[in-house]
Amino acid sequence: MTNDAKVICQRMDLLFKRLARTKYWLQVVNDHYDHSYNVFFNSQRKYERLKSVPLHTIATYDLSYLEKVLGDLRTHTQLTIEFEGFSGQLWPDSQRLIERVKNHYE
Amino acid sequence: MSFIDHEPHGVYFLIDNKSFYSSVECTMRGLNPLKVPLVVLSEQKNTNGGLILATSPEAKRLFHLKANVSRQRDLPQDPRLVVVPPRMNLYIKRNLQINQIFTRFVAEEDLLPYSIDESILDLTHSWHLFGDSPKAVARRIQETVRAELGLYTTVGIGDTPVQAKIALDLYAKHNADFIAEIHYETVPAMIWTIPNLTDVWSIGKRTAKRLARIGIHNMYDLAHANPYRIKKEFGVMGLQLYAIAWGVDRSDLHTQFKPKEASIGNSQVLPRDYRSRQEITLVIREIAEQVASRLRHHHKQAGCLVLSIGFSYAAAEQDGHGGFHKSLTIPPTNDNQELTRQAVYLFEQLWDGQAVRNVALYTSKLATDSGLQLNLFQQPTRQLKDAQINRVVDNIRQRFGFTKLIYGSSLLKGGTAVQRANLVGGHNGGNAYD
Repeated sequence: MTNDAKVICQRMDLLFKRLARTKYWLQVVNDHYDHSYNVFFNSQRKYERLKSVPLHTIATYDLSYLEKVLGDLRTHTQLTIEFEGFSGQLWPDSQRLIERVKNHYE
Repeated sequence: MSFIDHEPHGVYFLIDNKSFYSSVECTMRGLNPLKVPLVVLSEQKNTNGGLILATSPEAKRLFHLKANVSRQRDLPQDPRLVVVPPRMNLYIKRNLQINQIFTRFVAEEDLLPYSIDESILDLTHSWHLFGDSPKAVARRIQETVRAELGLYTTVGIGDTPVQAKIALDLYAKHNADFIAEIHYETVPAMIWTIPNLTDVWSIGKRTAKRLARIGIHNMYDLAHANPYRIKKEFGVMGLQLYAIAWGVDRSDLHTQFKPKEASIGNSQVLPRDYRSRQEITLVIREIAEQVASRLRHHHKQAGCLVLSIGFSYAAAEQDGHGGFHKSLTIPPTNDNQELTRQAVYLFEQLWDGQAVRNVALYTSKLATDSGLQLNLFQQPTRQLKDAQINRVVDNIRQRFGFTKLIYGSSLLKGGTAVQRANLVGGHNGGNAYD
């Protein structure tokens, strides 16, 4: 497991409390400004505010590395991973579109 | 010819960031700062449930939130709202990056960072290098910051810094392009028409009240009042108010402001009411050590110690006083033990069992730390050893972090040093863990 994935898993486990009627998911953002990937832990209880906590910043700005980190993450958790700022880009390994659902805020 | 011709003329920009903290958090999440209802909420133990540090423009519009610092209980439970924790170190980093961008447009000595999200730029000598008009240059600066950092900036332009400041505070944020200009010629139209005195920089509720007492209720009144009368009432600061009403500002950004009397100190709001002597003195000790360590870092010795204690609401009501505040002249020192001893002595002298919520400890009469004044009543070797220990502890903490070497007492109930170690300005500093 990569170091980045380890850090993310560690921090995520503290926040993932499995409360009832609560949605949990991870968010990976392509940070054009800092040339890095930001990872957030989002949770939202039904009818309540969305909470978004920063987990980690992946400094290696390389898609194939990110693909590897996320591969490691997926062995640890089955939480949905949402992508932001990758529009049109493909995963170098699997050649699938990264951001399949478009966000309306960008 | 009017008086204006004798007053300094320049091209000054005051640039601030639109909802700085929340905008930074938006850009980190790949969101547009103007479109997302996002709130930065500090949830430290002493914030009584949570303190709103910043709200995005969209959140202000949707939920009618007032600008800054309100409580979590004022925040609606709405699924559209995004709540995020603060990261003070990130905001400091962004502020430095923004000022870096500004230095492309002005010389470094013409740039004055005014707060975490505001800077004053003197473009008198350089604006014509970047555009046809000051406004075009402002536009260009905005576009550069937006392109490189994703942040929106508002710009106030004026012939003097104070005109720029008023343009920024009152007009720029309401304009579609986030730019506003005030010049000497437009002062009557733009400054005298301000109905609320408290909207103006440097006029607060109390000053407005005092002005009202001599019949000044708006900026027009202030500009047309008798300056001698204002001076008699307010002293020199009154003349400054009068000058603001005319857009006059003779300050020179190049001369650095030197405080007459520097001081070093720390304060904190406690997470709950502290009632026992032991808990309160523990916190005082922790603060005293922090202050002593800062003194040593700046190579200073303090000759005066000020302790301020604020009581809890209930205790203040019962007691009739909000707290106490006392200063003590001490032999110049920056030694942990000595400062702690004096601070605790001050506290024991004045405290009468009230519940405490606020502790502040300040040192002043700072002198350069050029040597150790030996005390006649103590073994000299002991004193030298103490000084050495202080230095070693400082070095260890600097290298490995504050929490790596702490007193056992800090782990007792009531200690706050460990929990506060990674805070910046009382709020979460980094990525919680980084």
